[in-house]
Amino acid sequence: MEQPDATIHQPVRLKIMAALKALPEREQIEFVRLKSLVGATEGNLGAHLATLEQAGYIDVEKDFDGRKPRTRVRLARAGRRAFEAYVDYLREIVDANGAGERTR
Amino acid sequence: MPITHVEAQEALRDISRTSRASAKSYGYRHGAPHLFIWGVVWMLGYGLTWLRPQLGATWPVLIVAGSIASIWFGWKSRPAQAKGYDWRYAETALAAFVFIVAIFAVMPPRNGVQAGAFFPILVALLYSLVGIWTRGARMLVAGIVLAALTLGGYFLLRQYFVPWMAVVGGGGLILGGFWLRSV
Repeated sequence: MEQPDATIHQPVRLKIMAALKALPEREQIEFVRLKSLVGATEGNLGAHLATLEQAGYIDVEKDFDGRKPRTRVRLARAGRRAFEAYVDYLREIVDANGAGERTR
Repeated sequence: MPITHVEAQEALRDISRTSRASAKSYGYRHGAPHLFIWGVVWMLGYGLTWLRPQLGATWPVLIVAGSIASIWFGWKSRPAQAKGYDWRYAETALAAFVFIVAIFAVMPPRNGVQAGAFFPILVALLYSLVGIWTRGARMLVAGIVLAALTLGGYFLLRQYFVPWMAVVGGGGLILGGFWLRSV
């Protein structure tokens, strides 16, 4: 990866992806819980989720739990792959720097 | 838009922190219903033992009902990709049952109060171990508090031990369930 994935690179979206990746595959998380994990406001989180959904990285499901509206999010397969590639990219940068320092 | 190694390190730290918090929250959310169930079982079990000691079937009936409820919740909240029931729940319950039978065969309790203190201490140990191995501070605190309350009741309030365990032990587990769910 020459350039970082711009969709994931944004700090709040990176945290969203990390929170979703830590769950078992295809497991959903509720919006309210995700908000407290990521530390974002409701509007801010909603906007970032929309960006990730447009990229095909997450699936958003809206329904009702009794009478209460509920939004649940899960990592899509493409999102899982993109996130893993992004983490590999970060590790390569850190490792390359560590190797560079050792050869100095 | 190249990333410096400092930014990359910071991003990896952020990922690690958020992943840990997310996994912990997931574990707490799935552990909470079991604390509710066993809190109610304890409250009813110790309460009925205190109020109606002649009812000999209280504990066996409640333990079977609690186990069925726990297995049902385990099945209902299984991960989305899991196919079928995760038999590790039932195997864990069976291992615990065999352990308790073996312990009581080797060292039979001399009275009901001793037996009544044994189970909460065992459960406190399990919560503490889960807390230690998953770095789940709340589970560890729940284990320590449960053990302290049980030992406090056993040594300091012996004649009120049974109602003490109904209110404090059962109530403590139910409150612990709410506490886990709030994460």
